Amino acid sequence: MYFRLIRNDMAKSKLITLTTTIFVAAAAMLVSLAAILIVNLTGAIDTLMTRAETPHFLQMHAGEIDRARLTEFADQNSNVDEFQVLEFLNMDGARIILGDRSLADRVQDNGFSVQSDRFDYLLDLNGNIISASDGELYVPIGYMRDHTAQVGDRAIVGGKEFTVAGFLRDSQMNSMLSSSKRFLVSANDYAEIKSLGSTEYLIEFRLKDLSALGAFETAYASAGLEANGPTITYPLFKMINAISDGMLIGVILLVSVLVAAIALMCIRFTLLAKIEDDYREIGVMKTLGLRVSDIKKIYLAKYAAIAAAGSVLGFVLSLVFKDMLLENIRLYMGESGHFSLALFIGLIGILFVFLAITAYVSGVLRRFRRISAAEAVRFGTSQEKAMGTRHMLLSQNRLLNTNIFLGVKDVLARKKLYATMLTVLVLSAFIMIVPQNLHNTISSKSFIEYMGIGSYDMRIDLQQTDHISEKAAEMVETMRSDKAITKYAVLATKTFKVKEAETGSDQNIKVELGDHSIFPIAYSQGRAPAAADEIALSTLNAEELSKQVGDVITLVIEGKDKNLTVSGIYSDITNGGKTAKAGFTDHSSDVMWYVLCAELADPSIIDSKVADYAGRFAYAKVAGIDEFIAQTFGSTISSALQASYAAIAVALTIMVLVTLLFMKMLVAKDRYSIAVMKALGYTNADIQVQFISRSAFVLIIGMAAGTLLANTLGEMLAGAVISSFGASAFHFTVDPLAAYLLSPLMMIGSVLIATIIGTSGTGRIKISEHIKE
Amino acid sequence: MKTMLIGDHIVKSFREGAEKRNVLGGVSVEIDEGEFVAVMGPSGSGKSTLMFALSGTDSVDNGQVCFDGRELSKLGENELADLRRTQMGFVFQQPTMLKNLNILDNIILLSMRDGSRNPAEIVEKARALMKRVGIAELEKRDIAQVSGGQLQRAGICRALMNNPRIIFGDEPTGALNSQSAQEIMDIFSEINAEGTAVMLVTHDAKVAARTERIMFMRDGIIASELKLPKFNGTGTDIDERVKQVTAKMREIGI
Repeated sequence: MYFRLIRNDMAKSKLITLTTTIFVAAAAMLVSLAAILIVNLTGAIDTLMTRAETPHFLQMHAGEIDRARLTEFADQNSNVDEFQVLEFLNMDGARIILGDRSLADRVQDNGFSVQSDRFDYLLDLNGNIISASDGELYVPIGYMRDHTAQVGDRAIVGGKEFTVAGFLRDSQMNSMLSSSKRFLVSANDYAEIKSLGSTEYLIEFRLKDLSALGAFETAYASAGLEANGPTITYPLFKMINAISDGMLIGVILLVSVLVAAIALMCIRFTLLAKIEDDYREIGVMKTLGLRVSDIKKIYLAKYAAIAAAGSVLGFVLSLVFKDMLLENIRLYMGESGHFSLALFIGLIGILFVFLAITAYVSGVLRRFRRISAAEAVRFGTSQEKAMGTRHMLLSQNRLLNTNIFLGVKDVLARKKLYATMLTVLVLSAFIMIVPQNLHNTISSKSFIEYMGIGSYDMRIDLQQTDHISEKAAEMVETMRSDKAITKYAVLATKTFKVKEAETGSDQNIKVELGDHSIFPIAYSQGRAPAAADEIALSTLNAEELSKQVGDVITLVIEGKDKNLTVSGIYSDITNGGKTAKAGFTDHSSDVMWYVLCAELADPSIIDSKVADYAGRFAYAKVAGIDEFIAQTFGSTISSALQASYAAIAVALTIMVLVTLLFMKMLVAKDRYSIAVMKALGYTNADIQVQFISRSAFVLIIGMAAGTLLANTLGEMLAGAVISSFGASAFHFTVDPLAAYLLSPLMMIGSVLIATIIGTSGTGRIKISEHIKE
Repeated sequence: MKTMLIGDHIVKSFREGAEKRNVLGGVSVEIDEGEFVAVMGPSGSGKSTLMFALSGTDSVDNGQVCFDGRELSKLGENELADLRRTQMGFVFQQPTMLKNLNILDNIILLSMRDGSRNPAEIVEKARALMKRVGIAELEKRDIAQVSGGQLQRAGICRALMNNPRIIFGDEPTGALNSQSAQEIMDIFSEINAEGTAVMLVTHDAKVAARTERIMFMRDGIIASELKLPKFNGTGTDIDERVKQVTAKMREIGI
């Protein structure tokens, strides 16, 4: 009997059943994908870390090292299984050229190692331990992913030529989040290039009993051994490896929650409408003595069928799409070997979706208990009063057209029903606006001031050339006499040693010297350095040196210690984010590079001016600021743009589908009122205007709430994303045209079209069929 | 008296599965300006379908319906809606009121549609009508808060708002007790006396007996007609008229 009931009911409401099934399938697919990804990710990480024999305890150390003392400690500690010290040759990115690209502007610290002979192996893409021959260079997998290098490329490291022989997986430093990257060379080649960089040591242990890791850490620390650098343990390696794909999984889970919420909204809406429709029948069934649970079963059966169909469809789809999402995990970490377990967990995820939906439906159906049998049989409708509209009287309405009045009043009278639609519209508006604002913010000219770049028109980079200072002076002379240039600044970057009182060790810092007031940047704390004894630090440097505004930092300038007060902290994405700005003069150290920036009287001539300077100074890199921004973080901007387009498409699709669904439902539900109005002489156009007023009213509230939410909660969320680039102070730059005109127009357009299509059925409602005695 | 509404050989059938059922099998009917008529017949005889066809609420398969010389099948949806709204009034068995609106708002619903009219005058007229049918004190009530008889009076007020030339009543007393039914019929008589034509569809011989012409339907055709003089409002008169109606019904076997 249930089967027939379900079949008849679904045949009567094909579109509604289909839409609900699609949402359920989408939610199920995402949950299943997330489950499959989690299993594969953990499996792949385990496989990688087992094969590579990742150290259980790693102490990085810069400076002198006492190997004998370390060996003695390892011998005496009963938990130590194996111990080794590896070298990591840290090299400036500018000295590494892969193919025809220099790694100068890379954020990562690139360095060289030889293959370990005990554990912590660097693996090839088949999971085998690599052995590098002379002249061969193995490149971290990340550079394959972003197409920086290809196998067979020529590579030059500090003048020595290599061939890119392959790519390597590094169980410690694979992740984009790990700031260091290990290249693998042969022992001979390593010895040759060793003088070109600074050596760091990786002091590594593998333990017999990993559960006693805590005790081992304490033992190492209390032994007072080498510790000038970060300490990383096995669980942390695992986390670092998991985090970027983990974030993807997190996003998928988040989206799946959103889609599931929309699916539940649709179900709630259709169910409430259906219950209202069947009010009298439910009352009659109760009067006749059927139990609430019996009646519930009839309704539950239909949604269980939808949930089951959607879940199965979602599972199949997740199998189709899983390979696409697993690509990254496979590339960075290899196969997991957990194929069937992944499917099983995916199935459990699907089962969870199924159960959640049936539980939700069962919850909504609890209101059956509140239906008074007598009332239902007598009135045929719920006598629950619509609050809040008692004072909204047609007889007193002088403002709105009657059709619009009726539409608005209907929304206010049935708030519960429309709340569902409103929630979906708010969510959609949010999904639509946030990525758009984010893209607009990061592509706006003022945003670069948050990123450590001043707001100028033309930029000239001068680096890696002979007689650099003379060339810079020549260019300054040209700019000074150029009438098209209203102002310019010369910034010279030099390296200085920082004295750290606590550790006593020295560290290098790149300081950009010049007048920082000409093209100011935004400071998240403090201000630009003004006096000669002031310095501003980038966020990353301030964190690394643990300095705050007002603290004193000691640099070695012209051979003498000089105390500088930190005047401000700023966000920077250039040069790996580790920079500083100061105004003192120094003649001792060499200039690493110059940046000359200029503002033009007439910004429309930027292109011709750039071409002019580029032709005149062939040894320098001349760029308009837009071009510079495009080169520096163009890929971020373009992915943000793509994300915002995708978000717009997704949001509009959801809006259209849900509005279509709701309007179809409403027409079905209100067919009696529609028939009455038509019998009395309201035209089809009148009825449609009433429905359009309903959805327009809900949409206006939804858009307003969505925009508000996007600009508050959305700004916070986006700020969290942005801060991962190093920018700390963050506010949306809203493009009023896009945010307050184009987006609303798109939303209004799609909701309106969906409403018109969804309510086209009103014309087919036969008066005589609904007003029968 | 001038003929206002003509139904000429109206045929209407419904599909029931694979089978086609003729509900109206070529019915011809004429209603004059200011006439008071009733249509009687057993369930399924086609009386409601005839009313829907004559009021342009439902299309016909064959034959034609003319109102004031305009053939309804040649009018578009909107013209039909305008015709119903401005020339006709409807009272149904079940109170066809919108749940969201109170009694007054339901009554003025139609008149408010035409934005050109003065809302204050519309409200005033509605109040006058409510007073006339004895529900003046109910204007702010919700439709769930009044009795079936009161709701039916409100329905009559709504039907009268646009000064229709004809009122169609489909079993208007069907859901009421005899006291209420009689009061409603008094109102219909009054309306008719003022010159508005009234066409009632009913099972009830007592209701039909208040009118001046009764059409008896059976199996989709008008089987017979009975003409009665104007009702004089006394109890003996109604008893006599009911007797005539029931005798006629027996005669044609319905």
